[in-house]
Amino acid sequence: MKPTLAQLVERRTVVGAVILRSLVRIRQGSSVRLYLTCIRNTLEAAMCLQNFPCQEVERHNKPEVEMKTSPELLLNPVVICRNEAEKCLIETSINSLRISLKVKQADELENILTKKFLRFLSMRAEAFEVLRRKPVQGYDISFLITNYHCEEMQKHKLIDFIVQFMEDIDKEISELKLSVNTRGRLVATEFLKQFI
Amino acid sequence: MIILIEMAAIAVHQFADCITCHAWSPDQSMLALCPNNNEVHIYKLVEEKWERIHVLQKHDQIIVGIDWSKSSNRIVTVSHDRNSYVWNEEGSVWVPTLVILRLNRAALCVQWSPKGNKFAVGSGAKTVCICYYEQENNWWVSKLIRKRHDSSVTSVAWHPNNVLIATTSTDGKCRVFSTFIKGVDAGKPKKSGSGSLDAKFGEQIVQLDLSFCWAFGVKWSPSGNSLAYVGHNSMIYFVDQVGPSPLAQSVVLRDLPLRDVMFVSEKLVIGVGFDCNPMVFAADGTGLWSFVRFLDEKKAASSSGRSQFTEAFGKFYGSSKQGTSNDRGRAGVHDNCINCIVPLKKSETAKMTSFSTSGLDGKVVIWDLKNQEDLLEYL
Repeated sequence: MKPTLAQLVERRTVVGAVILRSLVRIRQGSSVRLYLTCIRNTLEAAMCLQNFPCQEVERHNKPEVEMKTSPELLLNPVVICRNEAEKCLIETSINSLRISLKVKQADELENILTKKFLRFLSMRAEAFEVLRRKPVQGYDISFLITNYHCEEMQKHKLIDFIVQFMEDIDKEISELKLSVNTRGRLVATEFLKQFI
Repeated sequence: MIILIEMAAIAVHQFADCITCHAWSPDQSMLALCPNNNEVHIYKLVEEKWERIHVLQKHDQIIVGIDWSKSSNRIVTVSHDRNSYVWNEEGSVWVPTLVILRLNRAALCVQWSPKGNKFAVGSGAKTVCICYYEQENNWWVSKLIRKRHDSSVTSVAWHPNNVLIATTSTDGKCRVFSTFIKGVDAGKPKKSGSGSLDAKFGEQIVQLDLSFCWAFGVKWSPSGNSLAYVGHNSMIYFVDQVGPSPLAQSVVLRDLPLRDVMFVSEKLVIGVGFDCNPMVFAADGTGLWSFVRFLDEKKAASSSGRSQFTEAFGKFYGSSKQGTSNDRGRAGVHDNCINCIVPLKKSETAKMTSFSTSGLDGKVVIWDLKNQEDLLEYL
C-alpha cells in the first residue's frame, strides 16, 4: 500500500530528527570538548587583568580593549577555530578582555534561530553583566570582561560561565531547531489531513 | 577574626571585598589599607581583634599606593585622581598635606626613600615624580623625570643609598635613575657596588630591556647589589651588578604572571601574582636563580556558592542547568590575584622572615618563613 502524503512527511521529519539528535550527540562528545578546553585554557591565561587608568585622557578609566588608545597596552589577539563556522576570538588588554563567538549555523533555519536567540540575549545584556550589547564584526556574540568583574567575581566562575554559555548555546539552538521541525511536522500533518 | 593556619601563612584577616594596597606602621601595630575606593582605612590590633581607628578621606578616586615611612611616621598616598597627600599624625587625627605632583594623568605607585626625606611617584603620564619637603615654603616639592618612559610607570623602588631609583613600565623596560637633589641629599653619595652615583638628577644609569611585555614590581635586594622585577609574559628577571654592565637572568614560569616581588634576603625572593599563591625563588651557590615552590600548599577544592552569572543563566533556562559547572576553586589562603607584598621587619638588625600580602580578595595574610625548613638555608 502506498503511504499517504501525510505519512511520508511524518516519516521524513522523524528520521531527520533522529539523525539530527545523534549528530548532536557525536559533536558534543568529541571535538567540542577539545575546542572548549582550548578556550578555557586560553581564558585562564588571558584573564590576568588589573585596574589601569587611561594614559591618553585625564581621569578616565576605560577598557583598553575597546578604546585601543595605546598599542603597547594590547596583547596579541587569539583566534580559536573549530571549523569555518565555529570560532572564538579572544582579545586581551591590560585591564579588559573581549571574547567574541561565532556560533555554528549549518543551514538557514539555524542561522535565523541563532540570530534571534542571540539578539534576545544581547538585548538583556545588563542582566549578564559581561555580555556586550553589540557583537564584534564577523561574530555572533561578544563578552567584555573588565578588571572590575575580576574584582567582584571569582575568575574560574567567570570562565565557567563563558564555557557553559558556549556549550548551552549549541544545545539550545539544536533544541530550538528540533522543536521548530516537530511543530512544522504537526502543522503539516494537520493541514494535509483535510486532503485525505 | 584571626584564623591560625599551620602553614607558612600565620594569620589571615578579611578586611574588605578587595584591597588595592596596604602598608604597616613603623612598629607594625597598625595597618593602613585601601578597600578599592577613595579611602584609606587604618586598623589597629586591639586584644586580638582588628579595629578600624581612622578613615582618611581626601582623595576622590581609587587609591593605588600607600606607603608608611619607617623613619618619620608619615603616610603618603597616591590615587588615580592625579594627587598625592602626605598625612601627619597630629594628636589623634591624621592631617593631610596636598603634594602638587604636577601630573596630568593618574598616579600609580609610591614609595618613601629609605631615609624618609623623599618619595617617588610613578604615573600614567609616563613620568616619575621625586618629591621632597621644602622647609621654607612648608610644602612638598615635586621634581619630574620626564621623557624617559614610553608608557605608564607601574612601580618604583628606592635603592638603599637613598639616591638611585628603579622603575618598571608598561613598555616592558626597567630603568634605574639617579635622583640626587642638592640640599636634600647631603654631599655626593659614596660609590657602592651598583654603578656610578655621581650622576645628576634624572640621569638614567641603565635601561634593562629584558621583557617583551609589561613589567611590574621592581625591588632591590637588601644590599642594593641586585634587583628583581617581573614581566607579564610569566617571567621574572634578576639583575646583578646594576650599572653599566649588568648581569641579567630570566626565569620562565610555568604558571600565571606575577604582579610584585620582594627580596627576603640576597638569595631568596618571593613573587606574588595571578596564581593567588606566593612563589619562592632562590639563588644557589653560584648565584643561579630558580623557582623553588609555591609557599601555600594547595588543598582539596571546596565547593562554594555559584556565581551570579550561572544563576542568572539558570533563571533564563529554567533549572535544567543546575549543577553542571564543576567547582575548581583555588583552595589557597588567597582566592584572587595578590597584588601587594610588604616586608615585616621587627628591627633593622634582625633577619627578615615574615611579610604580608594583600589582593583582590580583600584579605591581608601574614606569612612567616621561620618554620619552612627547606628555605632556611637561603635566609
